[in-house]
Amino acid sequence: MSRATSYHRPGTVEQALALLAVEGNVALAGGTLLNADDDPTPVGMVDLQGLGMTAISVADDRIELGAMVTLQDLRQDGSVPPVVSDAARAELPSTLRTLATVGGTVAVGDPDSVLLAALLVHNAEIHVAGPDGTGGAPLANALSANGPCEGRLITAVSLSIGGTTAHEAAGRTPSDTPIVSATARRTGGLTTVALTGVASTPVLVDPADPTSGLEPTGDFRGSTDYRLHLTSVLTDRALASLGGAS
Amino acid sequence: MQVSLRLNGTDRTFGCTVHDTLLTLLRREGMASVRFGSTSGETGAAAVLVDGNLASADVVLAAQADGHEVTTLESLNTERGLHPLQEAFTATGAMQSGYSVGSMILGTLALLEHDPNPSEADIRDMLSGILDRETAYVKPVAAIRQAAALLRGDDVEAFEPLVLKPMTDGVNAVEVADDDPAPDAPAAVPRVVPSPDVPEMAVVGHPEVKVDAVRLVKGNPAFTADYEMRGLLHAKVLRSPHAHARITSIDDSAARALPGVHAVIHHENTARVKYASGGQSYPNPKPHDQVSFDNVVRHVGDRVAAVAADTPEIAAEACRLIDVAYEVLPAVFDELETRLDGAPVIHAEEDTTDIADREHNVVHRLHAHRGDVEAALEAADHVYEQTFRVHQVQQCPIEPHISVAWLDSDERMVVRTATQVPFHARRMLAPLIDMEIKDIRVIKPRIGGGFGAKQEMLIEDIAAHLAIATHRPVQLELTRAEEFFASRTRHPQTITYRTGVAANGTLVAQDMTLVGNTGPYGAHGFTVQIVSGLRGLTSYNCDNKAFNCDVVYTNIPVPGAYRGYGAPQALFALESHMEDIADDLGMDPIGFRRQNWVKVGDEMNIAPHLGEGGTSDEEFDEYPTVESSGIEECVAQGMRAISWHRRNDPDWRAPADRPHIRRGLGFAFCMHGTAIPFLDMGGASIKLNDDGSFNLLVGATDLGTGADTVLAQIAAEVLGVPLDHIIIYSSDTDMTPFDTGAYASSTTYISGTAVKKAAEVVAVRLRERAAMLLKVDTPGSIELRDRRAWTADGRSVTLEEVALDSLHLNEQEQIMGTASHVSPDCPPPFAAQFIEAEVDIQTGQVTVTSMVMAVDCGVAINPITASGQVEGGMLQALGYAHCEEIVLDDDGTMVNPSFGPYRIYTADEMPHTEVFLIQTMEETGPFGAKAVAEIPKDGVAPALRNAIANATGTRINDLPFTPERVHRALNDA
Repeated sequence: MSRATSYHRPGTVEQALALLAVEGNVALAGGTLLNADDDPTPVGMVDLQGLGMTAISVADDRIELGAMVTLQDLRQDGSVPPVVSDAARAELPSTLRTLATVGGTVAVGDPDSVLLAALLVHNAEIHVAGPDGTGGAPLANALSANGPCEGRLITAVSLSIGGTTAHEAAGRTPSDTPIVSATARRTGGLTTVALTGVASTPVLVDPADPTSGLEPTGDFRGSTDYRLHLTSVLTDRALASLGGAS
Repeated sequence: MQVSLRLNGTDRTFGCTVHDTLLTLLRREGMASVRFGSTSGETGAAAVLVDGNLASADVVLAAQADGHEVTTLESLNTERGLHPLQEAFTATGAMQSGYSVGSMILGTLALLEHDPNPSEADIRDMLSGILDRETAYVKPVAAIRQAAALLRGDDVEAFEPLVLKPMTDGVNAVEVADDDPAPDAPAAVPRVVPSPDVPEMAVVGHPEVKVDAVRLVKGNPAFTADYEMRGLLHAKVLRSPHAHARITSIDDSAARALPGVHAVIHHENTARVKYASGGQSYPNPKPHDQVSFDNVVRHVGDRVAAVAADTPEIAAEACRLIDVAYEVLPAVFDELETRLDGAPVIHAEEDTTDIADREHNVVHRLHAHRGDVEAALEAADHVYEQTFRVHQVQQCPIEPHISVAWLDSDERMVVRTATQVPFHARRMLAPLIDMEIKDIRVIKPRIGGGFGAKQEMLIEDIAAHLAIATHRPVQLELTRAEEFFASRTRHPQTITYRTGVAANGTLVAQDMTLVGNTGPYGAHGFTVQIVSGLRGLTSYNCDNKAFNCDVVYTNIPVPGAYRGYGAPQALFALESHMEDIADDLGMDPIGFRRQNWVKVGDEMNIAPHLGEGGTSDEEFDEYPTVESSGIEECVAQGMRAISWHRRNDPDWRAPADRPHIRRGLGFAFCMHGTAIPFLDMGGASIKLNDDGSFNLLVGATDLGTGADTVLAQIAAEVLGVPLDHIIIYSSDTDMTPFDTGAYASSTTYISGTAVKKAAEVVAVRLRERAAMLLKVDTPGSIELRDRRAWTADGRSVTLEEVALDSLHLNEQEQIMGTASHVSPDCPPPFAAQFIEAEVDIQTGQVTVTSMVMAVDCGVAINPITASGQVEGGMLQALGYAHCEEIVLDDDGTMVNPSFGPYRIYTADEMPHTEVFLIQTMEETGPFGAKAVAEIPKDGVAPALRNAIANATGTRINDLPFTPERVHRALNDA
């Protein structure tokens, strides 16, 4: 049951920012979470579809994904790095993947998001627009800041491309949201590993000591200790899949 | 606000509210194919194409769709006939209830637009967002392949069963050679092994298309929510936030004052009439421990109040405005703890009677035995004891419970409702709303899955109370979360087996001690545990047997009927126990079972002691015997299909290239029942029409199982007409004969026999009237076939001529027949369940890679629908074994009441699935049929457990086999 009390479809980023400055208004991207939320608190919907931001473009060694690029677009566009494309496929089923967006995924920061993990290992940077102008920040920083877009609008996410990647996960069933997953990438002798299911958002960890500093919250799918165990096992496997020493 | 979009090719503008979803808008505009499954897009039942992309309309605001192109299934309905995609789904039996088939067809349309020759992986990926509890996605994949071929212009072969030669003589076991190749056919094709005892028939035994296919593949109005009512109000229920509490005050004034609210009901303004909600035959088993609204709540989600309002949103807001004060009481959730001294008493009220031990929450204490178990155990060469724990799961019909109630122009109460038990619901509803049965009409339209959850009078009373209070039609539709914690679930149990075995492997004693958790209310609590005892102690011959059971109250969400009805719990324990005994004795697991399982002619020696009427320790003069069994053929076909010999191949079990993987194969012997003897009853009525067609009226309840199709096939076979000359209608308590309803695997056997008898009554009169026309004085010599009545010398008249003569020309009469059937027998179907699985020994993750079930269901009246039953049953059983679980927090609140956290299998992760139908001739069944609906639920959990044991040597006695549980067991071993 939607809780929308007003609906706006701005045509420019400036208009969107002005609307988002109004208390109670929220940015509506794909709507797969916002429209499904049964919290009765009324909200004003600021639909971002009029802003464009749907392009996927490659320049030099980076690829830029517009914030309104859908997960289905990631799945189908041949220029998207394979581990990102596969993660877009795994993130949501067919009927939601066509709605959910890159920007929305980043804004939510779901700790179980394999797509965010894939973006992290590709050195993702988010591009934002705010009342004070535009800017950018590493996705890892934005996620750890716990609310990268407060008062600002995510306009794009850019990634470095290339390298070899691997993904390992454990879940109840093959397509289950992983209890823990490890996504690894090696490029130019540098190895990065991102985990899901072990912190409040997906996180980059030290490949040599992946459990360091982690205190995952346990739940019915996996206790704290089990999640730490999976972290070690899955990271080892992902690194082994990359081949050679890290 | 105004929303403009291109809907099915036409530019349209609609008025809507800001919060309307696209689902709301489309349904308001008559797009019945777009169906409610949840409000979060998770079921895919509401998926449509938005700019050509499959998208769940329940998470799209109507306003978001402004300026876009929206396509629904109705766009394909441009001609009287079917679109090729609809043809493919129809021909392959790719839908059962058909609740979500519109989404599947639209997804196919989009997929094939993108790729005319998609891979199976791409097909399954497309289906991944459309949850289906019925088909296991097997036949939808076949349908999409066929649709792609049709659209490419390729030749398409008819979708028919693969007929196999038997491997056995039907009685004796055979050696299955390691290199004997399994039959090669797509997974969706049922493998049928015919019996020489079964004659070839014209309609029965053939893969006829479902009689309701057109309305389903076209998305025509068919389900409860699809019929529009002028002045319809919407109801919502205020539910308890506490697992156990007394309501000390309730103030509904603010709710009543909210504009748009028409009625608020709760315990202070609703009569206190005791009842039991389980949809069972009269008299409903006691205790009658429920009332429509009570002043005590006994689980999180229990009813507190209900509101009828102009919109669901207003009703929900009104619920929030009801001010309820609670005195929170201690709660208990575990079936063992609840019996302890000092545990909170869950039914302290005086007007609930017939509780065995109120102070210890024991609602029933059951016992039955044969022989002397203790003496036999004492004397046995080997004694084994094991305890198993099975958990709580939900049926998860994609259509949630929904009822619409109104007073008709005669001021009779009419309830259109998604129920498996329309006649029980009518009888049970009457006292609650202070009306007589004759003044109530219950209509069952198509149902979007039930699986036992709808064998209940669950919400009909709320809708009816509100209809009376408002004099308006009132619709109550549960949310997905309510479906999880305020509907019905499977009973958790703790089961202990003790078994004595002679040195030669023969069972000498077996007893089963069961504590069944019936939650706060006894609905089905008695009979489910009785069936657990019946099924858990009938599979194997043994002179000394005993069943001891406590059925106990707790504060968990209410258990009830769930397909299998106590058998899946019992057979998980039994078939795990038997596996371990065989292993400990060093015997072959199938050979050990074979030595002991019941065979043709064997007595089912504890069955009469465990009946719906109660338990009995008195000896009976006669015991029912097994009259048909195809288990040896089931085992042989299944062993070959799964390549059973690999279970002893160390190289296969521990693949060198995947060091953390262990593979295993598991088996379970399954035996179920067919209807409840002396109790289940079905009626049927048939009348002849002018053109030689027939109307068939049945009270039986097709849940999507294909029951209407099967019953019509039976009538068509007797009357010598094609299936499309039988127009079946089910079910409506004003119009159709009585039937106990769709449960206990009874419809084909009981209602089918009633149909056969009614058809035979009609056939007799048809022969007599045809004899008059043909001037033959031996009507019994006339044969009905091909829509004609034939004399022995080859002359004939059409049934149309007989009809016109009898209705219009000579000695006019309505040729019709009515019959009913109740059976003294309960012939067991048998099955062999095989599972192939991989275990990740580092993470504990289990991956099921193949499921093979070979079923002896007698004669499959329709092999396509029968195999669909097995496929869907295995899917649900796999979820039970592997990943589904209701999880409560310490306060009794369900923490995972949505799909995702509550994991059910999706199309893109299903294991390979094969079904074998092994024919036997069951003389007591219609054309030789036994049951098929529930036995697929019985074997997956133990076979998977045994496969894990084969892979790792670790025996796990608790369900489900989630990664951490398995990991822990592997490390504890």
